[in-house]
Amino acid sequence: MPPILEVQNLVKNYGNFNAVKGISFDIKQGEIFSLLGPNGAGKTTTISMLSTLYTPTSGDAVICGHSVVKEPMAVKQCIGVVPQDLALYEDLTARENLNFWGQMYGLSGKTLSKRVDEVLEQIGLVDRAKQRVKTYSGGMKRRVNIGVGLLHRPQLLFMDEPTVGIDPQSRRAILDSVKELNRQGMTVLYTTHYMEEAQELSNRVGIIDHGELIALGTQAELTKSVGETDTLTLHISEEEDPETLAAEIRKVKGVVRADVTDHEVTIITPSAEELLAPVVTKSNELGIKIRSVDIREPNLEAVFLHLTGRALRD
Amino acid sequence: MRKLFLIALKDLKLAFRDRAALTLMLLAPFALTIGMGLITGRFSGNTNTGLSDIPLVLVNEDGGSLGNALVEMMQSKDLESLLEPQVMTDLPAAYALVDEDKTAAVIYIPAGFSDSVIPASGQSTPEEPVQIELYLNPTRPNSVGVIKTILEQFMSQVEVGRIGGQVVVTQLLTSGAIDISQAEAVGRSMGEKQANEAGQSSSIKLNRVTNSGEEVKFDILAYLAPGMALMFLMFTVSYGGRSMLVEQAAGTLPRMLTSPTTTAQVLGGKVFGIFLTGAAQMLILIFGTTLLFRLDWGAPFAVFVLVLAAALGATGWGIFLTALLKTPGQASAIGSAVMLIFGILGGSFINVEMMPDWIQFISRITPNRWGLDGFTTLALGGGFANILTPIIGLLAMAAILFVISVVIFSRRGIGRL
Amino acid sequence: MRKIFAIFWKDTFVRFTSPLEWLFFIILPIFFTVILGAGTGPSDDQRVKLYVVDLAKTSLSENLFSSLTESNSVHPVLIELNVAVSEFDERKVSTVLIIPTTFSQENVINNRAELELRQQPNNMNALIAQQAVQAVLSRVSSAVDIANASVAKAESIEGFSFTSNDARQVYYNQALEQAQTLMNEAPVRMTEVEADTADPVSYDPRANSSAGQLITWVFIPLIGLSAMFAFERQKGTLRRLLTTPTSKAVFLGGTIFGQVVTALVQMLALVLFGIYVMKLNWGHSLAALAAMLVSSALAAAALGTMLGTFVKTEGQANGLSIMLGMVMAMMGGCWYPIELFPQTVRVIVKALPTSWAMQGMLDIVLRGQGLSGVWLEALVLLGFALVFFVIGIIRFKYE
Repeated sequence: MPPILEVQNLVKNYGNFNAVKGISFDIKQGEIFSLLGPNGAGKTTTISMLSTLYTPTSGDAVICGHSVVKEPMAVKQCIGVVPQDLALYEDLTARENLNFWGQMYGLSGKTLSKRVDEVLEQIGLVDRAKQRVKTYSGGMKRRVNIGVGLLHRPQLLFMDEPTVGIDPQSRRAILDSVKELNRQGMTVLYTTHYMEEAQELSNRVGIIDHGELIALGTQAELTKSVGETDTLTLHISEEEDPETLAAEIRKVKGVVRADVTDHEVTIITPSAEELLAPVVTKSNELGIKIRSVDIREPNLEAVFLHLTGRALRD
Repeated sequence: MRKLFLIALKDLKLAFRDRAALTLMLLAPFALTIGMGLITGRFSGNTNTGLSDIPLVLVNEDGGSLGNALVEMMQSKDLESLLEPQVMTDLPAAYALVDEDKTAAVIYIPAGFSDSVIPASGQSTPEEPVQIELYLNPTRPNSVGVIKTILEQFMSQVEVGRIGGQVVVTQLLTSGAIDISQAEAVGRSMGEKQANEAGQSSSIKLNRVTNSGEEVKFDILAYLAPGMALMFLMFTVSYGGRSMLVEQAAGTLPRMLTSPTTTAQVLGGKVFGIFLTGAAQMLILIFGTTLLFRLDWGAPFAVFVLVLAAALGATGWGIFLTALLKTPGQASAIGSAVMLIFGILGGSFINVEMMPDWIQFISRITPNRWGLDGFTTLALGGGFANILTPIIGLLAMAAILFVISVVIFSRRGIGRL
Repeated sequence: MRKIFAIFWKDTFVRFTSPLEWLFFIILPIFFTVILGAGTGPSDDQRVKLYVVDLAKTSLSENLFSSLTESNSVHPVLIELNVAVSEFDERKVSTVLIIPTTFSQENVINNRAELELRQQPNNMNALIAQQAVQAVLSRVSSAVDIANASVAKAESIEGFSFTSNDARQVYYNQALEQAQTLMNEAPVRMTEVEADTADPVSYDPRANSSAGQLITWVFIPLIGLSAMFAFERQKGTLRRLLTTPTSKAVFLGGTIFGQVVTALVQMLALVLFGIYVMKLNWGHSLAALAAMLVSSALAAAALGTMLGTFVKTEGQANGLSIMLGMVMAMMGGCWYPIELFPQTVRVIVKALPTSWAMQGMLDIVLRGQGLSGVWLEALVLLGFALVFFVIGIIRFKYE
């Protein structure tokens, strides 16, 4: 079966600024693919090109067998988009919003009202469908926002950071609904800068940074690329100088690399347990007080750190 | 095409759900129309604007045929709607009315006026002619002007009568057609005939052609109400234009473009939505003022067409402003400013014809001016054929602004800021 | 006091971050003042416009036109036929006088001269124009009328007839000559006495416009104070501000103080524009001016504060402030002289602060009065301010 989405060397420049520097990947039918990267990495620009909103400077993407450049209309018919903003009319009710957007996707008559009912059921807003969206809580608005993207039963759903700025409970609900949609056969392209979300949801992950796709694969493949390594993080107090500590630690045997982020020194090593003692000794020698220590098994965070030398957090 | 309508209807619905917008769309023009109606006296029937029912006092001490003829003329049916004459006998009381600004003028016909013009039999023409006195109120120059014109016309007729009689008699005598014993009778009959025929015997024939159309009494509200409606139409279109910037910022516009909807459909839908909202607003205001104030806007079909043209012209401005501006905040502020500027330039507050020529020239860029021209024509009984100029003006305005806007939009795109 | 200044600076800063604010602050008021000042006042020329189309272009037709220009009731405008007809059809002009090519002295003598007067139906102005035209016509044609009547009378006498056409013409010419001589010798039979009526409307479009627009454009943003409360309430900054040790009174005081100071700056700018550009007499009594400016600003700010407790959203408040501001300005006589209003309305509008403000401002700029002339108006405005403030403070809520 051909991939439902195939990105070929996609580039987007704004004047001299290269927002997306030629990325390529594909998404298979039925998988959840996450684009993971910090803010400003080019995730939204990429998804905007894939949803035909921006014209690529060069390169192309084929979605459901149609080129986003040459056949944008056919592509739009096939995709559903859940934008980062709450792109809804707050003065219309949930039902009216769904009706309007459904019509924008070419639905009408019985099909439309049936789908609106189904989606309202799906997002759990049947009771409040007749109230204006502006009276809803943040989480409810998000659900309507997602519902709009589902109306026309798209084959491929783009979700652009749908969990930004909401409470943990609503976030949980959204992640569950993404999984549920996927279980029902929906292919999802999910962008996020939360490592945990990518880890929980995705079959495959693409890591994007500064407009470049720096890693691509299943989680297992990615963590493997870092090697059988652990991540050891030392939190030191604000008055101390982490650079000095990191420089000394790099000299310790068994340290693959040591990087500084704020008041933390992150060390990658084949075995954290063995390294713990020498590192603590080192800091004592330097008179630097360690406030706490974290040891983590290989994860996407480590992959990002390994590739960029920076933590994923913004 | 269907999507274009859907987007437009959605905008219409949103506009009528926005209470803040409704305040300015419907409430404000009503409030201002009522205010204007109040201060111009439209609702109290005591109007100070326009010349009609000019009050004047006649004091006739003459008792002769000419004095009576003058009083009769002033009270005649022809001048009924123009003058409001009152006959008094107490001259000082009449003067007092003028001094107190209760009336525009006193016409005092002293005793012996008729005899002074055409001497009674056996008398000779007095040395000093007896003069009619016009005691006028200087604070009402226009009313006085009208009274003076009428009085002058009468006096000139009197003079023509007198001289006519004299000439006829002299001529007839010299030619020998009559003898001296007949002279006086001929002269008197000629003179009185001339004087009584006031103005109708001129050798220059004045053919009066009355314009077709219904007879209408001009209602000051027929000028004020469309003025206000058109001013707040500008608010509505700038509000509509603003909604486009709001949708860009809120992400619903880009979202529409991710659905199988073309840029042209989205833009067309927004434009059509602005147009529909504007037209709906105008029609509601027209309907409302017709019901509430018994205001006759004129021929319904022509009014309807003019509403559509005005809404289209104004929509042109709305979309043009949107094309130039970037944020909803800018659109609100500039929109209000343009509304007020167009309001005053277009004649919503003061009649543009009283303004200097250059302002009159600039006022042509406003849909208010064209629209008001048209609505006034219709309210005065004009028909569809008479408002072609304003309609063409408005359509041309719309076309020019649409073309410019589309060019700007095609350069900057509507999908993002 | 420090807090009040802090609130003042914050408000001023927030307000003027947008360059567009200057548009409403100073540019539009000046624009409106100039435009309205340029317009002629209502007591000016109200003569009825009469379009005259001169197709004849003879000395007679020119004579007719110049006689019309001397009329007190019409304002004749010489114009092309097609323009006149189209504007007449569009109801822009009530009356059109068309002088056809056949209009000549010769045809007047032959009794064949005709003019066409087109009138709108049942139109007062058309009636006035008709009267004026007839008055002028009878003057222009009177001698000819008499000569014609003379010939007619002679022919109507039994047993008399002209021996030839020439004899008839001679008879006519003599009559015409005699009539013209007599017309020229005609005595004046009318005198005009101008009464000493006091003019109730003291009006100078420039002074009225300057004072009226000053009030309009200060009232609108001050009533818009309500929008500011709504804005802060919506954003939650009001709530937050009140979690700081700041009392309700200090907050309200600071906000209002700031707005009043800003309004005073705005009014001063407009007054200076009036003095230096429009050459108006604003500055003769600084005490009176200060009393009026401060009391007007306070009354308007208090009104805004009160409204701020009633409206819910910023949008509502904005719409309301423009609408109320304009209606109140108009009813208060800021746009049209209040003396032109019907008597009852003139009494009713005394309930509006704008009418008192306008009256006081006109006392200064138009009637040249000092503090003794405006103290009542200033006091009434302060009274308005007090009432509005009290209602505002009682009703004031945080969210």
